Amino acid sequence: MDSVGFEVADSEIYFLLSRADWGSDLLFRVLSGTEPISAGAILYDGRPAPDWGKAPPAVFIDRIADAADFETEARLGDWIDFLCAGSGLDRANLFKTLLVCNFHERHLKRKVRDLPPDVFHQVYLAACLAREHGNIVINDFIRGAGKGFELKFNKLLLQKKALGRAILYLGSDIFYASEIADRVGFIKNGCLLFEADAADLKEMDIKDLYLKFLN
Amino acid sequence: MLAFLRFEWRRIFCVKKNLISLGFIFLFATYFVLSGVDEYRQFFGEKRIFLRYEKEKVSHVVNYSQYGGFGFRILFEAPPLNLFFINSNILQDVESNIDTFEMIEVESSFKGNKLFLKRGYFKDFAGIPLIFGSLFMLYLGHLALISSAYLRFIAGNMSLLKYYIMTTISRFFWMDLFFIALSVGFFYLVGFWGIIFSRQEQSNYFLCLLFQILFLNFFYLLGQLITVLLRFRKIFFFWFFIVWFVCIFLLPEISRISVFNQSQALESAEQVNLEKFRTLMVLEKKFRDYLKENQSVPLDQIQKMQKKFAVQYINSTYLVNTGLESRYLRTVENVIADHERQAILFPTTYYQFMTGEMSGKGYYGYLDFMDYIMQVRNSFIQFYLKKRYEENNAMVESFVKGDENVFHSRSRLPRTYWFGVLATLLYGIIVFILTFRPLKRQVFQP
Repeated sequence: MDSVGFEVADSEIYFLLSRADWGSDLLFRVLSGTEPISAGAILYDGRPAPDWGKAPPAVFIDRIADAADFETEARLGDWIDFLCAGSGLDRANLFKTLLVCNFHERHLKRKVRDLPPDVFHQVYLAACLAREHGNIVINDFIRGAGKGFELKFNKLLLQKKALGRAILYLGSDIFYASEIADRVGFIKNGCLLFEADAADLKEMDIKDLYLKFLN
Repeated sequence: MLAFLRFEWRRIFCVKKNLISLGFIFLFATYFVLSGVDEYRQFFGEKRIFLRYEKEKVSHVVNYSQYGGFGFRILFEAPPLNLFFINSNILQDVESNIDTFEMIEVESSFKGNKLFLKRGYFKDFAGIPLIFGSLFMLYLGHLALISSAYLRFIAGNMSLLKYYIMTTISRFFWMDLFFIALSVGFFYLVGFWGIIFSRQEQSNYFLCLLFQILFLNFFYLLGQLITVLLRFRKIFFFWFFIVWFVCIFLLPEISRISVFNQSQALESAEQVNLEKFRTLMVLEKKFRDYLKENQSVPLDQIQKMQKKFAVQYINSTYLVNTGLESRYLRTVENVIADHERQAILFPTTYYQFMTGEMSGKGYYGYLDFMDYIMQVRNSFIQFYLKKRYEENNAMVESFVKGDENVFHSRSRLPRTYWFGVLATLLYGIIVFILTFRPLKRQVFQP
């Protein structure tokens, strides 16, 4: 990556688009401080990111596969209890997110591995968002998710935006970007080549943009 | 910490397959303790018959010459603690005959029900942690860290190191508690069958338990390490079995082969017997030559001469032969000490060595038995010669007044116990540290 410079304002959803096979994982790792950078700087709230793990500079929501990866052999309720007590997640916040997603409490008695994919994604999201933070970085979270979940997710994002959060979404779906984002940036060959307001995007030839930057 | 403890409790004890495994461990442990108690009590029945037999045998002996030839047997009595380590014995049920012959033999009978006594590998209470405990801990170690995706998520909420340490401590806590409760519970439960342990035995048992816990924790950490090295892949179970097999069966077998090879350098026991026999024959020949040369000497003169030769035998030949036997025993002891030092190198080998010694029928138990035999034999020879040449025609008085014909073996910890503990602890710490580095790499740089 080279020459990738952008800013995300408060109450803004910035969608950084890149080719699906280029992947946004590397950029996500760089932003979350787990992949070192040789030059440049990443600033959160105008300051360099502190040590990862101690006080994360943002809420990082990574793409996840399925419930099997989270095979804790515990019931969901126990797992949530552990997350709240062990890592200080705000229980009320967590359940607030779950309520927005129409989560049913019967799932609390099920084992994490037995949760339907959408419910698992909801819980994961709720756990990530339970910690109040001004910055949210999301890595292609809804790729492959059902339309129902996508709608709930959008609702949540818009809620967070309304609360003044700065949201950065890394993904490859230009249609989704035009639907949810305020601003869009295009990365090709590791460089940020083009930025535009999402409102302007609707007036542009999306096919042309796709072929130019994402193909 | 409480959150971790609560969560790990649920992860371990609220999972059906774990409960089934722990239930099996408990059932096997119960069975082996009960059969240990049964065998221990059976031994006392056999001991009573043995003592009665020995007593009656003496009453039928006509004179001291005959008594010297028949002698009496010494029974090896294992300590009460043996019931937990009944199959960790190096020696099976053994006895030795004390007589005036030169050979010292330690024998094991395979007559009647003793033919079926051998249980095979690991089948005692001490074998439970070795086989099932290690397997279960390896499995729990594997499950502890779940997946790199999960750890990445967790690392967003707390430090990965904190999660790693806390999870490990919590799992240690619950599993150690289970195994401690199992061992301590059975230790006190056998008291209901009237089996009482001395203070020394109690302290040995609890120290043995300490090593056992460290040993099990080592396997848990090994499970974590393998999982991380295999990057949480599903082929884990294949490697899991290989590592377990190597640790539990292969390494102790290599250690056994090694001690066997070392023992090959020992002089043959038959050679020692032959040397002793030849020493004795030199004296016998002297006496025969004397008889040949003095065929017309009266009987009382011959008896006096016989007595003189007997004194000479005690002062020279017997001492030489005892020296040969002691020297041989000390070379055997050196091989055992080497084996003990070698066993420290790996927790499994040391565990097996330690349980052998705890049973009272281990290598050092054998050495104690041999020392005891030589000591009793020495007293018997003195007794025999005195009676034989001073009151041969008197009624035979038994050498055994109390329980000299029973050797009370004691349960002991190896002399290198604390080295073993430290080595296992060190291995555990190394494995714990070694796991974290690749774990961090996998979590943060997949």
